[in-house]
Amino acid sequence: MSVRSNALVTSKGHRPMAGTRAVAAGTWILFAFLACCVEPGVAQQPDSSLSADSLKKLSIEQLMNVEVTSVSKRPERLAQAASAIQVITQEDIRRSGASSLPEVLRLATNLQVAQVDSRQWAISARGFNSTTANKLLVLIDGRTVYTPLFSGVFWDVQDVPLADIDRIEVISGPGAALWGANAVNGVINVISRNSKDTQGLLVSGGGGMELRGFGDARYGGTLSPAAHFRAYGKGFARQPTVLPTGLDATDDWHAAQGGFRVDWDPSPKSQVSLHGDLYDGRISQPGASDIAVTGHNLTGRWSHAISAGSDVRAELYYDRTHRDIPGTFGEDLDTYDVDLQQRARLGARHEVVWGLGYRNINDRVVNSDSVAFLPAHVARQWFTGFIQDEIALVPNRLQVALGSKIEHNDYTGFELQPSGRVNWRLGPSGTLWTAVSRALRTPSRIDRELFVPAQAPYFLAGGPDFHSEEELAYELGYRLQRGALALSAATFYSRYHGLRSLEQVNPPAPVPLVIANGQEGESYGAELAADYRVTERWRLRAGYTELRVHVWAQPTSTDMSGGRAESNSPDRQFTVRSSADLAARLTLDGTFRYVGDIANQQVPAYGELDVRFGWQPVPQLELSAVGQNLLHDHHAEFGSPSTPGGRREIRRGVYGAVAWRF
Amino acid sequence: MALLKATYVSAAVLVASAACLQAQAARAAESQVKAVFLFNFAQFVGWPPAAFPDSGAPLVIGILGDDPVEGFLDQTVRGEQVRGRAFQVQRYHSVDEIKTCHVLFISRPSAARLDDVLASVRSKPILTVSDDDRFAERGGMVRFVTDHNRIRLQINLDAAQAASLTISSKLLRVAEIVTPPGR
Repeated sequence: MSVRSNALVTSKGHRPMAGTRAVAAGTWILFAFLACCVEPGVAQQPDSSLSADSLKKLSIEQLMNVEVTSVSKRPERLAQAASAIQVITQEDIRRSGASSLPEVLRLATNLQVAQVDSRQWAISARGFNSTTANKLLVLIDGRTVYTPLFSGVFWDVQDVPLADIDRIEVISGPGAALWGANAVNGVINVISRNSKDTQGLLVSGGGGMELRGFGDARYGGTLSPAAHFRAYGKGFARQPTVLPTGLDATDDWHAAQGGFRVDWDPSPKSQVSLHGDLYDGRISQPGASDIAVTGHNLTGRWSHAISAGSDVRAELYYDRTHRDIPGTFGEDLDTYDVDLQQRARLGARHEVVWGLGYRNINDRVVNSDSVAFLPAHVARQWFTGFIQDEIALVPNRLQVALGSKIEHNDYTGFELQPSGRVNWRLGPSGTLWTAVSRALRTPSRIDRELFVPAQAPYFLAGGPDFHSEEELAYELGYRLQRGALALSAATFYSRYHGLRSLEQVNPPAPVPLVIANGQEGESYGAELAADYRVTERWRLRAGYTELRVHVWAQPTSTDMSGGRAESNSPDRQFTVRSSADLAARLTLDGTFRYVGDIANQQVPAYGELDVRFGWQPVPQLELSAVGQNLLHDHHAEFGSPSTPGGRREIRRGVYGAVAWRF
Repeated sequence: MALLKATYVSAAVLVASAACLQAQAARAAESQVKAVFLFNFAQFVGWPPAAFPDSGAPLVIGILGDDPVEGFLDQTVRGEQVRGRAFQVQRYHSVDEIKTCHVLFISRPSAARLDDVLASVRSKPILTVSDDDRFAERGGMVRFVTDHNRIRLQINLDAAQAASLTISSKLLRVAEIVTPPGR
């Protein structure tokens, strides 16, 4: 719910600035710091495939023994949403061959996903991408995973057993009214399966190039007829990325994680769940000891149906994360969060959802001489509330949702983030939607509390007056689902006020610099997606995104960053994915993606191909072979060519895997 | 070259062995199998006489929301009869459109409002079916559970009995009977 942060700092791709070495030096230190720490299916049916007539002759027992294929399963619940939403299902995840959460997110064509090095990713929606991207909200089973340092996500510690994910909902565009802070340009909501649906033992493992080795084990059992649990453990080792020269970039890493989930239904109307994770990772870095990342979290949730159309839910979580980058930075962060939400049907036409939330963080940083967060130790709290009324103006045809989030944070006090959405059903298969929203990125530690060097006089100082960055977003979309074809188009225009800038304190002296809100911006574009079930056994999907972002300085600003931190997104990207059930129990999936160049970082456009071949000789066993980024030996996805040590490039990867269910 | 050859040979072996295995288990599209289940339910479930407007009235299988089952269902029930009644397939976009209906399949998109849907058909003799998680626990009658590429059934017998429906033991024997906790 609340904190977001900025990306200014990520402006690694800086130009030779107005002269002075001092600026360059100061900016470099900042960048270096951020870079390290913050950092064909077969159309015909096989002979054994049964027709309706032969199925009707089977007994119920025989029918239950028929093996079903569901390559064509429809994205669920998409039809009604008045926003640009895509859903990644468990089936999509399994068949993609993705081996980590960021790789899975490449399946959402409305996101910009770029791998920076072996462990760092730049992930955003509708632009403003960087390793410290701060306009995206990411939730894993209700737990907001962000760092209050810059309001972005440390992707190297967001691991989830991929086989236990039920679905991932990805919304591009503002979701602030319901979801709150950070949800400026998008929301990623990872939802795990109920432990009732993950019973038994699942063991999988494998290895190859890039993903050197991995192993996962999960066991699900029953505690009572109304209570189920699962426990899992997993680990992996990844090879380093390479420098443009092909030399090893010394960023290989390994990590282990374990966790559990318990689901209990104390009554037909109530559900309780408790889940937690524990992780530990080590990442190599050149010329220093390994980076250590450890942490644990625990989430409890309760929901209760009061009556048809009315329910209440509560959630409580604790999250601890520790990061030690020897020689550069250390952090210990504790987050406590509680949320309450109620949904109620009022009369025939209104459905009201409201909620309250509170979050408290305790952040302790170990600073170095060259760069510091001051004070090193802070405690911050956020209070949030939201209400939304969904009104059926014409039942089942025209819906209007009006809502707002109200938040109080320690930096800027009260903030209001309203939105209005209209959903108009056109005939049986089409839906037109439109939305207007105000979303804010409230300050994070980096905006107010970052100093370079750690002692005065500073080259760069956090801005005591830094306030929230504001977005006004206008969206218009259309969604069509007719038979085997589903299409969606979302267009948007957003205007940004008070984006982060680096202001000269005594112009024309290039330093010192102070962080402020001296930039304005706009973005516009379109996201198109198509899903076509060619046959029951062959599904084709495609996504195309066109995006423009412009950032400029306000007339009174003496900004030195030149909007570079906000402009690291390709103008267009294109994905096409084929999922085919070949003859018996053989599946073949391929995804080609084209990503336009990132002009600001001189990252060339690239096209890449991922392929997975799966075989289930018996229902309990699956063997698969996966090739990732097959078209090049190595390619760059993100980062300035002058990245300290050299920009990292991503190598071709091939691995084999075995999964056994008992 | 040797590698290429090895790859080629292993691929051929893989495909050949898969083709042998294929004969051992019958396969069909998930939606197709669900459609046949819906058709079969008509034979294993008894409705009170009041559920039909007259003795010649068709048995209505309704689908609420968009679902691929729809296309297969027409094909499955075409020309079929059960206890002297023809079948009729109806599609609904909202629960208000449901008048006479005997088997109601609630697709996942509408399952978001499942509690409302179930509340509005509760006292009526309609066999409710869905593949939504916890469907049976929430008061639905039959849930399709897709597990290891096979479809199993969960049946909430209390809910069916409360709606004056009788379910044949042949069906109950192969299903998992779910009793919502706390009852």
